[in-house]
Amino acid sequence: MRAALLSVFVLALLPRPALTDVTGAVNDHVLPAARHFAETADALADAATADCRAMSLRPAYQDAFDGWMGLSHLGFGPLEQDGRALTIEFWPDPRGLVARTVRGLVADADPVVDGPQAFAEVSIAGRGLMALERVIHGDNADYGLDDYECRYARAIAVDLAAIAADIRTDWAEHAQLMLTAGTADNSRYLSAKEPEQALYTALLSAIEFDADQRIGRPMGTFDKPRPKSAEAWRSDRPLRNIRLSLAALRDLAIHMSDTPIPVTETAFETAQQTAMALDDARLAGVADPQSRLKIEILQQQIRAIGDAVRGEIGGGLGLTAGFNSRDGD
Amino acid sequence: MRRRSFLTALMAGAVAPRLSWADAGSPAILGAAREADGTYALFGLTAQGADTFRIPLPARGHAAAAHPTAPEAVAFARSPGTFALVLNCATGKVMARLHAPQGRHFYGHGTFIADGDILCTSENDYQAGQGRIGLWSRSQGWRRVGEIPTHGTGPHEIRRMPGDVLVAANGGYRNHPDSPGVKLGVAEMRPNLAYVSADGDLLDKVELDESLRLNSIRHIALGRDGLVAFGMQWQGDPAEGVPLMGLHRRGGPAVLDRMPIHEAMAMAGYVGSVAFDATRRQVAISSPRGGRVQIFDDTGGHLRTILREDVCGLAPAGRGFFISDGLGGLTRADDRITPLAKRGGRAWDHHLVPVTA
Repeated sequence: MRAALLSVFVLALLPRPALTDVTGAVNDHVLPAARHFAETADALADAATADCRAMSLRPAYQDAFDGWMGLSHLGFGPLEQDGRALTIEFWPDPRGLVARTVRGLVADADPVVDGPQAFAEVSIAGRGLMALERVIHGDNADYGLDDYECRYARAIAVDLAAIAADIRTDWAEHAQLMLTAGTADNSRYLSAKEPEQALYTALLSAIEFDADQRIGRPMGTFDKPRPKSAEAWRSDRPLRNIRLSLAALRDLAIHMSDTPIPVTETAFETAQQTAMALDDARLAGVADPQSRLKIEILQQQIRAIGDAVRGEIGGGLGLTAGFNSRDGD
Repeated sequence: MRRRSFLTALMAGAVAPRLSWADAGSPAILGAAREADGTYALFGLTAQGADTFRIPLPARGHAAAAHPTAPEAVAFARSPGTFALVLNCATGKVMARLHAPQGRHFYGHGTFIADGDILCTSENDYQAGQGRIGLWSRSQGWRRVGEIPTHGTGPHEIRRMPGDVLVAANGGYRNHPDSPGVKLGVAEMRPNLAYVSADGDLLDKVELDESLRLNSIRHIALGRDGLVAFGMQWQGDPAEGVPLMGLHRRGGPAVLDRMPIHEAMAMAGYVGSVAFDATRRQVAISSPRGGRVQIFDDTGGHLRTILREDVCGLAPAGRGFFISDGLGGLTRADDRITPLAKRGGRAWDHHLVPVTA
């Protein structure tokens, strides 16, 4: 009797296998994210059409970047087409292509900015949020209404809104593909498992991106920190992007699991509290041993989220990532 | 004793029927996979994706070398491994176990010359840090009969060209069996593509520009009229978006791919496999890290991109390609994408190997 009771008790403590809720994740996480980014990008285009000077654009630029942080982790499907993700945000950029492209366009006063069709053919390093940041937060951000930069900023904003609108439309279609996975005419998702896998891989990749790129790039090495490799530091976004990304990833994790994920939620909570407590918008502290340690701790806590996700969500679903991608040769 | 075993072998040869790939179910391609229960096996697959045979492997494989006429495959362990298995694909029996000699390890690829009598294996002389091609005689019971240099460091894939010329991808960095997964000498690496005679003479060698010396040349496919496509793995920052595929014909310069910048960056600096289609007018490279396949014309012009998570294996399929991934997907991509088989739990490994017979 006692043994039986005990075994019931033990069974209750065992984690139940998680179930993926693709429908919930798509309807309550993905589609709202695509809609929100389209709205913020649209507002940016409206602001730029009304007044394309830097001071007028900065708030709408910040909002659009916020909107992008809600969507950018969904790197499969519509964001994967035509290099859209990099067109929206060309980062990381170790070769400095954004600076070079923006400088080139401005130096030539290239008329390519005067028509949306022509502008869509510009190198992706000269488009999107990072190019706009160069214009409205760069050395010549005091440009006037009649300057080239003003037309250029407007062109970027209008182009971004068009891309965001296309993504929103395409996501509506792609959602149907995900929800009809494994049916005869669906050549994108060959089985019901594949959309689950796509969401799961997106989640894990984005956690790694936060740790390895958003934090790892400015961290560099102890002897050679690289604070100016931080993401969008000119517009004070490095820490903000990490906070927003963690919030978006937590929302995805919750929506894609049909069962409670307490280990994952605790890991998110820990990292998010650390990120909220940091008072270093640009992560410039990577260059100072004391504050560097705090950023390093955040990096480790984000990696711990990955471990929790692999164990609690991946393990329960029989999902793995990277049979080939994590193996060399 | 010696004479007796010789006679026995002779008699066995005389009596045993000569087997062909038809006896192994006429597979179009070979592929290794991890199965749902965690074990590994080598599969023969028809052009429709059906299994023709399944032979258990003791550990994760990397690539296989298919004999040109007999239903025999040599399955290599992952680099830096020290053994390979010769499998009879008709009976499922292990015919021989090849052990790398002292001081050598295999790199995971091999090919046949001398009408299928000599197996060539890419190897590392890890004391000297020099690439070697091991030579093994099939008619002498898979005995090692010699070795020749690759004229470079860290050879990975080798292929046979007409006239038994071997083309070797010398990746540029070394490995050591004591520390799997560690790349040695990356700072000094200078990869090359070397054309070597069966006697070991260097016939031709191509190196890329100094600015691309961190681009490890690792995989090879053969096109028309001596055209060689090579796939690379960038040891620098993956976000730099460097070219990852080159084309070369002896006597000419190497030509690099012309991928759009966003696709180059999305490849994550990594090509896992390269193949021409059966017309040899298109060439494909895969990146499991980027989850995509890029298809080019035979001058390096970019034609299109196919998205598949954890994709790696490529083999010719008419005017297109067989494509396999680590999630069990096997598809045929020509004008459209046709799923051939989706077996939950079967994770296809890096390479698909066409059976030529």
